Parts: sequence; C-alpha cells; structure tokens
Amino acid sequence: MKISGSQAVLESLLQENVEVIFGYPGGAIMPVYDALYDYTNDGRIKHVLVRHEQGAGHAAEGYGRMTGNPGVCLVTSGPGATNLVTAIADAMMDSVPMVCISGQVHSGVIGTDAFQEADVIGITAPVTKWNYQITKASEIPEVMAKAFHIARTGRPGPVLIDITKDAQFEMMDFSYPEDISLQSYQPTTEPHQRQIEIAARYLNNAERPLILVGQGVQIAKAQKELQAFLEKGDFPAAFTLHGLSALHSGHPLHVGFLGMHGNYAPNMLSNKADAVLAIGMRFDDRVTGRLSDYLNDATVIHIDIDPAELNKNVPADVPIVADAKIALQSLTKAIRKNTHTNWIREFKKLYEVEKKQVIDGVTHPKTGEITMAEAVTLLSELTKGEAVVVSDVGQHQMVTARYYRFSRPNSWISSGGMGTMGFGLPAAMGAKFARPDQEVISISGDGGIQMNIQEFTTLAQEQLPVKVIILNNGFLGMVRQWQQLFFEKRYSMVNIQSPDFVTVAKGCGLEADRVVARIDLKKALQKMLDHNGPYVLEIKVEQEENVFPMIPTGSSVDEVRLA
Amino acid sequence: MKQRYTITAIAENKPGVLYRIADLLLRRKINIESLTVSEIEHKGMSRFTIVVDAERDLVEKIGKQLYRIIEMTKVIESTDDELVPREIALIKVTAKTKEKREEIEQLVRLSKGRIIHIDKNYLVAEITGDEKEIDKLDELLQPFGIKEIVRSGRIAVFK
Repeated sequence: MKISGSQAVLESLLQENVEVIFGYPGGAIMPVYDALYDYTNDGRIKHVLVRHEQGAGHAAEGYGRMTGNPGVCLVTSGPGATNLVTAIADAMMDSVPMVCISGQVHSGVIGTDAFQEADVIGITAPVTKWNYQITKASEIPEVMAKAFHIARTGRPGPVLIDITKDAQFEMMDFSYPEDISLQSYQPTTEPHQRQIEIAARYLNNAERPLILVGQGVQIAKAQKELQAFLEKGDFPAAFTLHGLSALHSGHPLHVGFLGMHGNYAPNMLSNKADAVLAIGMRFDDRVTGRLSDYLNDATVIHIDIDPAELNKNVPADVPIVADAKIALQSLTKAIRKNTHTNWIREFKKLYEVEKKQVIDGVTHPKTGEITMAEAVTLLSELTKGEAVVVSDVGQHQMVTARYYRFSRPNSWISSGGMGTMGFGLPAAMGAKFARPDQEVISISGDGGIQMNIQEFTTLAQEQLPVKVIILNNGFLGMVRQWQQLFFEKRYSMVNIQSPDFVTVAKGCGLEADRVVARIDLKKALQKMLDHNGPYVLEIKVEQEENVFPMIPTGSSVDEVRLA
Repeated sequence: MKQRYTITAIAENKPGVLYRIADLLLRRKINIESLTVSEIEHKGMSRFTIVVDAERDLVEKIGKQLYRIIEMTKVIESTDDELVPREIALIKVTAKTKEKREEIEQLVRLSKGRIIHIDKNYLVAEITGDEKEIDKLDELLQPFGIKEIVRSGRIAVFK
C-alpha cells in the first residue's frame, strides 16, 4: 500500500518508538502536520506545541538526556529551522541524542531564495553529528533509520533531516530497515585489553589516584559500574558539571565538583594526584584551568568513546577508546582491592576549609536577603535529593550544581558546553515527558527565564507538572560577578528589569507565588512541591551574592580562590 | 613548527562531506594549499588529498576530528617523504615567432612536458610532476610571457 512521504516520516517515528515530539507547524512542514492529525488523534504520537522552536530543541534535549533515546523536534523551513540552531549546537556540545526534522521548500525552487527558504544543511553542518536533505519520499525510511542510529550510538549527538515539501506529498511504498549498519561509522565500544592492563597497573601502584567523571558515564548508563570500580580501588572521584549525578552526592568517595566554580578539594588536589583516570569527560577549559600547569605530575589515563577527544587538550599516557560501561567493567576486574585512606583524608580536610570559609555562610545565613545557595540547599533537603533538577545558565546554575545533593543517577540536566541561557525551562519540559513519575524542577535566573519565558503557556496548555523556580537577583549575575572581580565593578548592562513573574505566570495560566523573606522560604518551597500541576516560584535573592570558590580564567586549578 | 602535510581522507561519496572537511579546517584556521577529490578503486568511495601547512600536533588532531564525519572511513596524515606526489599543470605561454615556439617546445620537452595546443600567438604546455618540477618549468617559461597557468593540486600515492 502506498503512503505519503509525510506518513512515512511518522511511521518511521513509530518504528523508533518515539512517544513524544516537540514542534511548531508552518508552511513547509504542513503536509507532515496534516498527517500528524490522525496520529495524535488516536494517541499513537504525542505532539507538544512549543511557543518557539528553540524551546522544541531544548525540550528534545531534556528528553534525550533523560532517556538516552533521541528527543525529536519538528519544525518548518527558514526561521523555524534557524530558531532551532541554538538548541542543536547545545546538543552537539553536550553530546545529547536528538533528531530534528525540518521542512524545506519545494525541491524545484531550492536555491531561488524562495519564501522561507534557508540553507539549513549548510547552517547546521557544523553543529550536527550528521545531516541530510531528503528530496524524494522513497529516501525517508532509510534516512530516518540512519538518523536515529547515528544520534543514539557512539558519542550521541544531534542529527537534522531536512525534507522538501514535494517529498512530503509524494507517494511511496513504506518498508523500514530492520538493521542499520554503516560502512564508515563503526564506533569502538570495546576497550583494548592491553591498555586496560596498563591502566590498572598505574592505578594499582598509585598512592594518590584521582578519578574524573564526566557525562560519558551517564550516557553509557554506567553508574553502578562506576560505584563498584571506585569502591574496589577506594578511589576518590571528582565530577564535571554533567557528571555530577553519576554517583550519590553523599557517597564517601564523591569528593566534589570540578572546575571553575567547583569544590576546593578536587581543584586543589588535581595537581597532587599521581595517577588520574578521566572517563567520559573532555577536559573542558572550565575544568582544567591553565593547561600548562595541569596534571603535570600524574600519569593520565583517558577513556572516551570519541577518539578525537584523546590527546585533544591533555596528553594521555594511556588513551582508551571505549564505551564507559564496558571499560569500567574491564578495569574493575583488572584492578586490585585497595585503600587510600590518607589521600582521601586530604580531600575531607580541604572540604572542611571550604565548608567553613564558603559553604556554611551561604547555605545557612542568619541575616540579610535569602541566598541562592540557601534556597537550593533547602530544596535539596525537602526533595531528599530525589528530584530531576534542570538548570538554566548563570550563577544559579553553579549554585545548584554545588549545593543540590543528587541522590539518583542521571537526575541533573544543564547546558554545559554552550552555556545556553533560556535552556532550563524547555529542557525541564522534555525531562518531565521522559520521567512523568518523578519530580522535575527547573531552576533559572531572572535573565535566563526571560529568554524562553513563552514556554510558560506550553506548560499551562499541557498541564505539565514542572516546578519552575526563578532565583531573582535583579542582575545578570554571573556577568556582574565577573565585572565586580575583573572589570573594576563597572556594571555594564547587567541591571535587568523583569516583569512581575507571578503575574506573567498567572497570566499564562499557571499557579505562582513569590517569596522574599527567609522565614517564608521553606513553606513556599513546600507549597510548590505539594502543588499538583505546573507551578512558578519566584525567590527574591541577595543582589550581589557571588559564587565561590572560583578559578579565574587563565589561572591554574590550584590557584582557586575561596573569596 | 609548521610543515607541509598531506592529509589523505577516504570517505563515502555522499553530499556534504567536502563541506564538513572544509568547515573543520576553517574552524582551526588552517589554509588549504590544495585539495583534490576523485573516486577510488572501491566503488562509491572518494579520496580527498588535502595539502596543508601546519603544525604536526594540529594536523594529528584534525586527522582524528575528520573521523567524526559519519561518511569518513580512513584518514592518513603524511609528510612529503612518505608519498609519491604528482600534480598536473597547463601553462599558456606567448609564442608569436617560429624561434620562440621552438625554444619553448625544447624547454617543455626537456622538462618532460608536452605541447598540447598550438595557436599563432601562444602555446599550451602540459606538465605532470611533483610541485618542484612544475615550479621549474613555470620559471623557465616566465621570460616568454605566461598568459595563464592552472595547476590541479596534488594527488599522491603512498610509498
């Protein structure tokens, strides 16, 4: 039986077990939307109408991060597709599986500057793992299967499929490929055993080993393997921004958060380590600080599924290309049971220094305005660390990373590599569709929320019970902090006026509240958590709170400042 | 230290590969000295021969990043001593008299080139060789007045 290209797109999505798509209709994708009418009516596919295509992209990212299956977005040509580009770039930087489908003008007018035509293949090439333009309906099944395969395997990433309007209308015979095998694309997942043995020998002989854990561990769903490995070797583990929830924050071997606003101990002690195993992380400049003074005394073992990451920033003495789960299993077998009591005690000692000089003051202040750290700490206690927390980008992001104590694997989403403001709210929507049974909390600043605040109405329309916290300090806080510390307090264009968030939220159809006084904070948070449905809580926080510790740009990790 | 490297990349012959290769080099601010593409012995596969002038470390990183292109199957970075390189050039040179024509023909012949087109005002010489041989003939023909010169860019096989 012949079906249209549009139906073939939707049948392909069903073949890939896609449950939900995030999108926005428009001229060049209308045939697919017409076909979608039947698929949504009988409940085969859920479509979420976002209010801006960037929201669709970040929502798909939230979904992709939570499930490991590509989040799907559907947009029209021209502005629809270009609005998506920021989210695609974000997904590329953070290795998030995503399949984007954009409509394109009729193939006969491509290249003529037709209405809503944009060279989407050209525009997205640098920010996609793969992209392809379909001009014939018959190409759809194979290209869709290939797209999902590429997006979810190896180092995951975003894929874009651009489909011309005539290909959407064209009739074709549908049969979906059962198995996709690409001649050129064969990610290596099994580690080289000899390299594993060498790595194990270094780790066994190390007096001061340190494990750096990145998002790759969570992508590989290797949290249990990580814990078993750490416990057998008694290795302290420090975490990148994305790696944070790979191990319970309260685990004795969890020595904290790496990098610019990370914890004092892992930053100070990175350069004291004699063997460092980095797994599923890419030595981002926010983690390494000044490269020339980074890990100079350590034997570096680096595990990553993307060979291009090895030796990219930090030379690896033992490079291992592998899936993190398989590599950790092999490595756990190869190492001997060990203890590093004295070395781990050094981390605890420095944690106490940070606790006394930084943490206690901001998490439990007695006077002044509410602090961001205080709000996050309280939220963490009230949710027992069990919520899925999604942050936007800025000071509140670093505060959340620092003070929320994650107790469940893969329960933390943030925009890391791109640092995309406006990410939090739509990504939280995607996460909620992926984990409907879990509390999903989005935390934004007053700047970030305004970048995608239109998604309030998406929440309302869907009655999607995402809890939105806005930590409002009246500033673009992270920029202000930098201006204070490095630009002689010249606060250039960081004083941002906000709308009355409670009124806006209510105007969009959401329940909302505001809290100003410390004495009301706990009650307000509890009321938000108890509410059965979407909810916006604005928390007015101290205007000029800074995030410390901090490694100034260009400094070495052990030049981390506590104030 | 910068040095001339030849990156040989074998990829499926699909749209977009060239775009992604060029973009990767652009992001790293590497200028492409020459780039040739053609089908190879395996059907459906193309061979890109890319000549760049860059640091070894950077070329190695580029080599690995090229594998991120889904269609890429093989990338090899080589220095000149590892290759048998060839290039073809067409040189259109002014030749209005019999004497000039004979002189040019002789120079071309001695340079292992040949004349492939004759007109009353000019000759077109073809030469294949490594870059130095082509540079040499170019230099020899300069005094006669070169109207056009076009070079193919490098192709190479491994030693």
